[in-house]
Amino acid sequence: MDSRAALDTTIAVVTPENIAFDYQLAGPCRRLPAYLIDCGVRWGVIILVMIALTFAGILSSAGGYSSFYLAAGFILYFLISWFYGTVLETYFNGRTVGKWACGIRAIDTEGRPISGKRALLRNLLRIADMFPLVTLSTFFVEAPNILFIPTGMIGLLTMMSTSRMQRLGDLAAGTMVIVDERGWRLPVAKVDDPRVPALASFFPGDYRVSRSMAKTLAIYAERRHYLTPARRREIARHLAIPLIDRFDFRPDVDPDLLMYALYYQVFLSDSSGEVADLGPLAGFSPLRRDQNKPRGLMGDSTNPISTAAHGSKPNSTPRAGGNMPATAAMGKTVVAQQRSEATSQTSDKNIGTVQPRTTRQEE
Amino acid sequence: MNVSKLLEKRRVQWSELERLCDAMEIRGRTEKTGFKHHQGAEGIARFSTLYRAACADLALADAYQLPPGTVTYLHRLVARAHNQLYRADKFESQLWSTVLFETAPQQIFSDPCVRVATIVFFGLFALSMFLGLNDGVFPGFADRIVGTETLSQMEEGFAKPIEGSLDHYVSMSGHYIQHNTGIGLRCFAYGILLIPCLVTLAFNAIALGTMFGYMARPDAVGGDNFFEFVTAHGPFELTAIALAAAAGLRIGVGLFHTDGLARTESIRVNALKAVPVMASSALLFTLAAITEGFISPSPLPYLVKAIWSVLSSGLISFYFVVLGFPREVLASSPAALAGDQPDGT
Repeated sequence: MDSRAALDTTIAVVTPENIAFDYQLAGPCRRLPAYLIDCGVRWGVIILVMIALTFAGILSSAGGYSSFYLAAGFILYFLISWFYGTVLETYFNGRTVGKWACGIRAIDTEGRPISGKRALLRNLLRIADMFPLVTLSTFFVEAPNILFIPTGMIGLLTMMSTSRMQRLGDLAAGTMVIVDERGWRLPVAKVDDPRVPALASFFPGDYRVSRSMAKTLAIYAERRHYLTPARRREIARHLAIPLIDRFDFRPDVDPDLLMYALYYQVFLSDSSGEVADLGPLAGFSPLRRDQNKPRGLMGDSTNPISTAAHGSKPNSTPRAGGNMPATAAMGKTVVAQQRSEATSQTSDKNIGTVQPRTTRQEE
Repeated sequence: MNVSKLLEKRRVQWSELERLCDAMEIRGRTEKTGFKHHQGAEGIARFSTLYRAACADLALADAYQLPPGTVTYLHRLVARAHNQLYRADKFESQLWSTVLFETAPQQIFSDPCVRVATIVFFGLFALSMFLGLNDGVFPGFADRIVGTETLSQMEEGFAKPIEGSLDHYVSMSGHYIQHNTGIGLRCFAYGILLIPCLVTLAFNAIALGTMFGYMARPDAVGGDNFFEFVTAHGPFELTAIALAAAAGLRIGVGLFHTDGLARTESIRVNALKAVPVMASSALLFTLAAITEGFISPSPLPYLVKAIWSVLSSGLISFYFVVLGFPREVLASSPAALAGDQPDGT
């Protein structure tokens, strides 16, 4: 069915609309709690029924019907303990109480919902999956030969050895259990750094990123919140350096900021060409050729988009920013080192940012 | 158009679809699927429109260069809506009557697993009944197999005559329905592992047979009551146990005898084959339970119960042999079959 061999536990399902979407399979660690919850619920219901029948039996004992309640109790106990899963899965779309609580669902292997026949098969065969049973006397010789505990080894072994993590009951019924999560949100990326639109406006209007580049940018923008500024720069540098060369940016442009700006340009900005509101950054140019020109409002203050300045910006992670911005800019790749050395020759401003790196290396 | 504009536009519909999914998950329907809204057409139509739109978005996600996070979101949204649109189908009554009265008997007639299970169950049952009965020849057999305690409990249970102690026997029926049907279902489930099924089946055949043999001894207390109690439902219940085990064995055999299929596929094919057998076993269990609940403990004369027993055995034979006789044999040589009958010309 699935032509591509997935390395993770997802499985592709083709719908009648001819769309392939991914399901995440539920493994033993998700299914065991669901089973335990189901056991609890089942026994809770059985105990409630028994209590109700006992009361009914006591109340009607004068009429001599108490034994009928006892018989009804036996039959209800039998029905609940054997058909609890079947009925719930059939009428609640592949979910029992435990499955609902754990956010999983049983569906058939084609991705269609489970049918009554399949639900019956997989639930009746559960006790084979729970095999072998052990008793207390397996562990303690003196213990009485009671309290059968299902170990579930058969089910666990078959789950581990099938690609769709099916137990025997699932194999026989042609079903699988998938994660059916609630509480997911559409991730919306917002750029609140004013330097980003400013920098983005310097990309040529006719520049189109490739598909893989767009994907990379999106993943980078999603993940960068989890990384320290140093790590961001280290990762971004690989793509940023060719871009700096291509568009002739100043070499000390922060690679992270550059990637973020490109992300903004590709995914968020208006292509209608309206000029972004640059605010205090108006007049500043990141381009190499403008490097020695007067910088308007910014005057001779530090370069707002260089790696050094970026670390002290309020929206960056405080852990690596602040006092030692330049150490955060330390690169590991050879290219980066060469770049830094070149920078120190061409740009006076940047000597201060490079210097701590070299001193630190000497240490 | 850039991606954020596109997302802004599509998000409205996606969140509407999410809200409809919420409603369907909680209440089983959307707000507008009531009678007020032209019998639910509006809500369902809206839901399916939105679902198809989301499907299209997912299909074009790559072309739109949607961010991976959004694609993941779309996968989940489509999966969720898919689960609500294509819901579990319930048991269809018409289909099941075909399964019960056409597929199942023919399956039973031709399935070697049924023969094996029947021979194991009834063979051991008869053998241990014989051994348990002849205490002179095989002394202490019954006590060793079932246990003296259980036997005396059983004698105690059946000491009262059935007539006049309805209370006592009704509760006993409840217990036996629960117990014996449980045996059947366990045999079915263990069938996929073959050995545990055969062990459970053989164990219960021997235990039941020994009890029958013991109660048939002339000196057993309450032997008459015992046989009066079990006569009516015996044929249904014992056959049902054997059939359940046969259905289970069918799945288990599929694990080894794959017929050239992949092993998992073979299990599935054989499990689907086992379903009709299991269904007829469930039917027999239900009939046995009804009999056990209403006829066995009732103060009806023994003759009625005996007639019921004969009738039920006849019905089972009719079901297995007449309904189960291979149709292709009948179709290919009707004349040959007609010639076998004494008055056929």
